[in-house]
Amino acid sequence: MLVHSVILAFFNHPAMLGWLLAAAAPLIIHLLSRRRYRQTQWAAMQYLLAAVRKNSRRIRVEQWLLLAVRTLILVLVACALAEPYLRHAGITLLSGGRTHKVLALDASFSMACKTNDKTRFDRARELAQRIVSESSQGDGFTLVLLASPPRVVVGTPVFERRDFLDELANLRVLDGDADLPATLAKVEEILASARREYARLSREEVFFLTDLGRNTWMPDLRTPAAVGEFRDRSQRLASAATLVVADLGQDGVDNVAVTGLRPLESFVTLARDATLEAELHNFGRQNRERQHVELVVDGRRAGESQVDLPAGESAAVAFPYRFDGPGDHSVEVRATGDSLDVDNHRWLALPAVEHLRVLCVNGKPAGGDFRGATDYLVVALSPGGLTDERSVVRPEIVTERALSETDLDQYDCIFLCNVARFTPSESRLLESYVRGGGGLVIFLGDQVRAESYNSQLAAERDPFDGKPGRPNAARHDGQAKNAIGSQPGLLPAKLVELAPLARDEPYLFNPLGYRHPIVSPFRGRDRAGLLTAPTYEYFRLRPVESASTALAFANGDAAIVETRVGQGHSILVATSADASWTAWPMWPSYVPVAQELVAAAVRGRMEERRVQIGQTLSGAIANHLAETAVTIETPAGDHQSVRVETGDGALRWTFDGVDRSGFYRVDYGPPLVRQELFAANVDTAESDLARVSLDDLRDDVWPGVRFESFDGQVAAEEPTSSIVRRDALHHGLLYAALALMLFETSLASWLGGRAA
Amino acid sequence: MSLENYQKYLDPQTLAKLQGLELRARLIVEGYVSGLHRSPYHGFSIEFAEHREYAPGDDLRYVDWKVFGKSDKFYLKQYEEETNLVSHLVLDTSESMGYKSDAAPLTKLDYAQCVAAALAYLILQQQDSVGLVTFDREIRALIRPSSNPSHLRQLLHAMSQAHSERKTASGPIFHDLAERLKKRGVVIVLSDFFDDVPSMLAGLKHLRHRRHEVILFHVLDPAELEFPFRQPTLFKGLEGWPEVLADPRSLRRAYLDEFDRFVRELRQGCRAHRIDYVQMRTDQSLDLALSTYLTARLAKTR
Repeated sequence: MLVHSVILAFFNHPAMLGWLLAAAAPLIIHLLSRRRYRQTQWAAMQYLLAAVRKNSRRIRVEQWLLLAVRTLILVLVACALAEPYLRHAGITLLSGGRTHKVLALDASFSMACKTNDKTRFDRARELAQRIVSESSQGDGFTLVLLASPPRVVVGTPVFERRDFLDELANLRVLDGDADLPATLAKVEEILASARREYARLSREEVFFLTDLGRNTWMPDLRTPAAVGEFRDRSQRLASAATLVVADLGQDGVDNVAVTGLRPLESFVTLARDATLEAELHNFGRQNRERQHVELVVDGRRAGESQVDLPAGESAAVAFPYRFDGPGDHSVEVRATGDSLDVDNHRWLALPAVEHLRVLCVNGKPAGGDFRGATDYLVVALSPGGLTDERSVVRPEIVTERALSETDLDQYDCIFLCNVARFTPSESRLLESYVRGGGGLVIFLGDQVRAESYNSQLAAERDPFDGKPGRPNAARHDGQAKNAIGSQPGLLPAKLVELAPLARDEPYLFNPLGYRHPIVSPFRGRDRAGLLTAPTYEYFRLRPVESASTALAFANGDAAIVETRVGQGHSILVATSADASWTAWPMWPSYVPVAQELVAAAVRGRMEERRVQIGQTLSGAIANHLAETAVTIETPAGDHQSVRVETGDGALRWTFDGVDRSGFYRVDYGPPLVRQELFAANVDTAESDLARVSLDDLRDDVWPGVRFESFDGQVAAEEPTSSIVRRDALHHGLLYAALALMLFETSLASWLGGRAA
Repeated sequence: MSLENYQKYLDPQTLAKLQGLELRARLIVEGYVSGLHRSPYHGFSIEFAEHREYAPGDDLRYVDWKVFGKSDKFYLKQYEEETNLVSHLVLDTSESMGYKSDAAPLTKLDYAQCVAAALAYLILQQQDSVGLVTFDREIRALIRPSSNPSHLRQLLHAMSQAHSERKTASGPIFHDLAERLKKRGVVIVLSDFFDDVPSMLAGLKHLRHRRHEVILFHVLDPAELEFPFRQPTLFKGLEGWPEVLADPRSLRRAYLDEFDRFVRELRQGCRAHRIDYVQMRTDQSLDLALSTYLTARLAKTR
């Protein structure tokens, strides 16, 4: 029994050990030859007898030596056929040590790619089950999902196979991509802790069951330091454990993905058609003609279209749609099926409003005749007047003092015009509002106290250094990064000083190539009045690092600077909203710019509803609603309650279980009783099913890192335990047999030569 | 004596090749007639050899009266005299002589008989007398020397009667022979000499002591010299030796060493006692072997 289990534990093809019987052949031949001999009479017998007497011992030794060598050759060949494998130089039998097997299953969504009714992940799971069931008694198993972020499913070695197999059976592929460096770090942690706690697990094997997707295995490591760390870690792992890469992917699989879905408008109202633009990309190598695309809104089919997708190219499909009720709408675009279904869907949670409520804070009220700071602005926002029912934007005007008493959350956007200074409570209110997704637009004016702005709205105090601010030309691409923490203030720029009054020559605008969305409608319309609007006074601004400059003056100073603060956006205009510093309000370009400022400021509310897999959902609750229970309904249909925590002086909830694409419905319990819809989408970089070959892996990803590899498709018949270090061993046996054959030949000829 | 025996032992071709050669005694031999060979008898021919003091019974005709006149003593004149050769062919007919390997055309005994017949023919041709002794464990036949040409027939007949059997014990036989062969002559021994070398040499030494000239024709089978066997072989010993099953390839070197030592010992013994040693292989042509030896011998004698 023991012998049997030892044989099973050491050989891939124990049946081949039957050939060991062949090793008896030389002995049998020897014995047979002793029975089959010729006879002859012999006269010179005394000399023969003397020779026999003197040499019988030597001859016997030589015969046995030859016999042993021949037998050994056959034993070696038979053993090589049985493909023995020894882990770590064959000390298994001696030490009685056990193996710690870490299974790292690739859970990136490319593993959901289906061929023959089985996904790659199914195959990975089957392989994992086989690895477990074919392991030796006493081996320990841990399980990590190669995902982003990596997920440790079983962190401490499990010795009960059934439990582990149950865990495996419950696994499913995640809708995210995979973070290989982070997963390696996790694996290293697991190995380190297992080493401390389970000393008897003397050997370590790490299995990567993956489709070798390029997106996963060619991680985009931006800095050389990160590359070095990745390689060092891989090297450390490889020297401590045996790394095995099981390739479960297939080459040449076509895939079409819906890579984007967005409304072309910054905000969606019931008053006008929204245009929903879906972008599709063909990641395959074959052209896809008449690809069917469907639009589903609130669970009902709302449109369909067909589009030709050349190989490797993108195409956009636009669906016009008018929403029929206010509130959050679920929008989904579906492309008809291919082998990878996850990325054929794109979800969008779209809040539609009847109109936008805009609060205009007038810092310098004046009795009519367009002398107040907000007078021009209100007209520009709602040309039909404050009570115009058709207007999309509904401005409301309050004075500076009313700011702190107003519930800001009911407004989509706030304009501050020529407000002199801010109290700390006001600045806190504004910051909480913007960080929660609100839009803030600030126009300056003669009342503005720069130091109050800099100290209250830009938390960082910056001593006045007297130098004029320069527009940050590098950052006008509208891609301002969300930089909570790194950006301390609410303002996108510091106020530096007043520019000298332009008496003769007014300051004119420089649109910076119309690249920013706020001024992009003017592209190609140089005579639309933007370039000619004269400005006489303005504040020199010094944009913060994360800010982008939408519009500048001809001398290079920034005119409109925008940044993202938390979920919301904050925009600073260097001059006034009224005609005191500039004639712009009288110019035809003023109205479109005002409209675009609203659109740019409110888009935070839209954006906050879009997340990617692996990102965190979060929201703010007013302080007095601390009792509110927050529950989240995931796309899978289960409900999870979320804790509400205090942070930055506001109540926030966060949810980091976004691992599946689709809609996450957030239910605010009493007293709020409100629902919000979030859409989580996959990162379509993973939709590219291009793979790294094992050669690439060896040369580019893991140069110098020793690892074993095998084709997960082919390996179906082989015991998985044989994967480790198997070639070297049976090759070695064959080489030894070959060497022995040569030795036997020369030995036999030497003995024969001596006899001759 | 049938014609077969002639044909068996005396190949006309061999005889033709030996024509013109002669076996001449290198040492002094005693003979009956004047002939080719130096005789130990100082007789009464032309060549003076020495004086000898008279002993009673001597023929008074050979007294040198001149010496008597000078010294008043009787001396006999002695002359060198050439006499005829008496040769004895001693043929080993023991069982081991019956061995023949695949490579050899004849058994050793057959070969030895041919050699003996050829020599007998040669000796009789030159008017000398030849006798024959066959032996195995003991002396089987002893034919007195004669120079009568018809004597050959008798010799051949005696040879043909010999069957290889029983065990050789040559040492005592040689002693026995030394006692029996009174007349000094050439003793030609044809055998494989598979025996204890010192005891054999002792017997041969006895023959030499009796002033015989001794020639050994060592008849060997090529297989015994080369041991060419490859397959495992059961060697069945002749003359009462046991069987041995062996792998010849592994034994070859050792056997050849043993055999060489035996031959060397025999050869050295021969040299020490001034015995001619001639090795003959049964796959060698008879005439070549014989003529080579006889020619060389002739050259030495002259």
